[in-house]
Amino acid sequence: MANQNGQIYGLTILSPIIQGDSKDLAHATAIRWYLARQPRDRRSPLARVTGTHQARLVVMDDVVYVGAPACEEHLKSRYLVFETNFDGDLEPYLVRMATEAREFVHSVWQHCVGYPGVEDPNAFAAYMKKCQVNTTFYFADVNDKTVGQNLRALQLQSALARFIERHQGEEPAVLQKAFGEFLETMRRAPAPEPGGDESHRTPQENRPHD
Amino acid sequence: MTNINGKAYAMNAITPMKWWKTPLLRTFFFLLGNVKPLQADLKNLSFIHFARWVIVPRNGFPHLSEKQPAENLRYDYLIFFSNFNGAWNQYIDAFSAVLSIGLNLVWWWSEKYPGAVPVTPFKEYISRVQFDTDYYYNSYPRAATNDVKAALRVQDAVDEFAKTSQSLTLGDFEKAYVEFLVKVQPDLGSTGMAPVGT
Amino acid sequence: MTEIDVSDIQGFALRGYNFPFARYLLLELLDSKAAERFIGHVIPHITTGVKWDSGKPASTVNIAFTQRGLMQLGLPEATLLSFPIEFQQGMQARGQILGDIGKDAPERWDAVWHGGRVHVWLGVNGRNREALDRRCSEMLRIMDETKGARLLYAQDAASIFIDGQPTSKEHFGYTDGFGNPDFKGAQRDCVPGQGKLTAGGRWEALATGEFLLGYADESGELPVAPIPHLLARNGTFMAYRKMHQNVATFRRYLDEQARRYAPGTKERLAAKFVGRWRDGTPLELSPDEPDQSIVQNPNRNTDFTYGADPSGARCPLGAHIRRANPRDAFGFNGKLVNRRRIMRRGMTYGAYVPEGEPVNDKDERGIVFMALNASLFRQFEFVQQQWIQYGNDALQGNDNDLLTGHHGGKGKFVVQGTTDPRNPPFLCGGLPDFVELRGGDYFFMPGLTALQMMAAGTVDPR
Repeated sequence: MANQNGQIYGLTILSPIIQGDSKDLAHATAIRWYLARQPRDRRSPLARVTGTHQARLVVMDDVVYVGAPACEEHLKSRYLVFETNFDGDLEPYLVRMATEAREFVHSVWQHCVGYPGVEDPNAFAAYMKKCQVNTTFYFADVNDKTVGQNLRALQLQSALARFIERHQGEEPAVLQKAFGEFLETMRRAPAPEPGGDESHRTPQENRPHD
Repeated sequence: MTNINGKAYAMNAITPMKWWKTPLLRTFFFLLGNVKPLQADLKNLSFIHFARWVIVPRNGFPHLSEKQPAENLRYDYLIFFSNFNGAWNQYIDAFSAVLSIGLNLVWWWSEKYPGAVPVTPFKEYISRVQFDTDYYYNSYPRAATNDVKAALRVQDAVDEFAKTSQSLTLGDFEKAYVEFLVKVQPDLGSTGMAPVGT
Repeated sequence: MTEIDVSDIQGFALRGYNFPFARYLLLELLDSKAAERFIGHVIPHITTGVKWDSGKPASTVNIAFTQRGLMQLGLPEATLLSFPIEFQQGMQARGQILGDIGKDAPERWDAVWHGGRVHVWLGVNGRNREALDRRCSEMLRIMDETKGARLLYAQDAASIFIDGQPTSKEHFGYTDGFGNPDFKGAQRDCVPGQGKLTAGGRWEALATGEFLLGYADESGELPVAPIPHLLARNGTFMAYRKMHQNVATFRRYLDEQARRYAPGTKERLAAKFVGRWRDGTPLELSPDEPDQSIVQNPNRNTDFTYGADPSGARCPLGAHIRRANPRDAFGFNGKLVNRRRIMRRGMTYGAYVPEGEPVNDKDERGIVFMALNASLFRQFEFVQQQWIQYGNDALQGNDNDLLTGHHGGKGKFVVQGTTDPRNPPFLCGGLPDFVELRGGDYFFMPGLTALQMMAAGTVDPR
């Protein structure tokens, strides 16, 4: 199934955007304005949709005219493009969108044709599947690890570098004990939150172990 | 800069294809997928997290209601989405330098595609067919795909060493620790912010 | 074989002169007509690329211009706008890209760089101090006579002399001067290791257009160049950067870390920082000890690759020379590196203090770093931003170059090793800033025909 690569699902959604009688911009503009005001870091609504590695929303106004001798043509509707790369299966992911990011989903998709609302997650999932276009070729550099696994590994990597430097040259007895404590601390460390922090903390801060 | 989140850049590009060329493209994707040279080269270049090509046939745009006017298009469309690390120019320079054959096999079927070499007309074409992302979310913005892969290797090494580290004798531990260091040593780069886009 | 007319190219763009003394005169151009006269009078002095078959001259002169200098000269607007964007902006404006922030920020540069008055770089090299002084006096006399330019600042530089002999050492003790790229038509002996790698593992000269305007570059195109063609042809671009070196900090840091690395291994650790022993021996060719027989042999001293050392156990993945010229380290037969090469013409400045004697960070000493290439954006700026101030391509994440990168006291450098206790894995943390930028700019170094056009005021865009 070309929508999948390993354990990662590549979902592509094209949702037609409602146009007024005069083909006005109101709905497309509303989506753009709303998106421009949303946080994109750990406070992002998509951070709550568990399993989302990377995802984007794009208001696609039209196709592109590449120039003569190609013919010029235009779409009759604008489309909201939603491209996401996530862990697991499609149906549960769509349901999670409707339940964990309700307000975001509603604020965006209320401007789209055929949107059934977000109260019934299954209806929402069915609607999204109608908007799905199949991926023809999907590449994933790391295709067998979840978001959580990646984040834990990154947390471990930076903690380990600090550990190694701090304990360089120590006697084996001290080192072995310290390493055991390090392993324990990492095991107990709270799962890192997805999405980072736009206040750009340095790597020195918020270490799980000291 | 809405195309960028941390170290990742969300690029979108759409190109028109004459409908009778689409099956040829689908065939090439099938070959590329199964013979695996494109996937291997992309992994070796190591600056793309995820990328996909989506063929939207001219009657394939979702149509959900009578009130929505039906599309009436002559071309099929190839949409490309990439989540890559590095600057735009660097990304395209690299593709043009080492992946031109693969790129040509994919985009030759698109109208007015100039080829991946030389690189300047290629960049002009991409600029024309690229459209901007409105909202981009990245669950690990401070990590390039190299960082993710390095971290996963470190995780494996720690998990392995954790099995015995506390039960070894001091002499064996000393030796094993050095071996552990040798295993993780290429993968200890810090994560953080990306250089400014250029 | 590309034919290039070496009489039309400034010699500085083709090779290092290997003169032990230099003075870089930074000039402001005055009235544009007078400035044209000034250039006209300097042209006969300009050292071209013609070989010195009858012996080295006593001194050399070369000239280059900032965008503001070309404006002051009165070049047409359309010509000025056709220069590459980064050159038009000038190096100060590119600070965010280059990482010239904090201690390296333009606000802290030497006063001469403030106010956009530096128009001309006049580079004078001399066999000895007398020859240098004599040549500089001639230049000053021309300025006086034509009233076309005014001296803003004279930057002296000189090789470090040890036991009365000029060396190619710099203030941290490293021997420099290796690895200048070979390109077609350079009319230097092609030295293995300086060019690009071919599929067969041999070295070949790079395309001329990587270093000179008007010729095809490695991607088969002509690099972005100003119009008219005659103005651009045989010219090149230079990034000039005065890099102050904190020698006391470096020596202290090396000593501290070497004690933890293993006693008696200071030289080995110093070698790991850079990728060459301080005497110049490449680690890839001799990982256990320096070897002058390699250093003295130009066919060997830069002929190596990293393919057999993917873990960095011989030469660390983040070592300076491995970052600045990765050779085959990215795979793909080195193709990703061929368009990122730069020519370097550095010269030390300030008094040399031998190891062991007291030294102060505050004293004026460092390197005047000059990089020459056809495209500042694609070559120098890229190397600086992506490979020096960042480590992703070297697989070192956000770790910067130890020697010249920004650290602010927090950086780290990993020395990859083996289970052999003489070559252990080691982590150097708390990196201070060893180098600070004191100023600089981007310059255009025209060919001789272009200079004549500029002097005659006949530069005409299409």
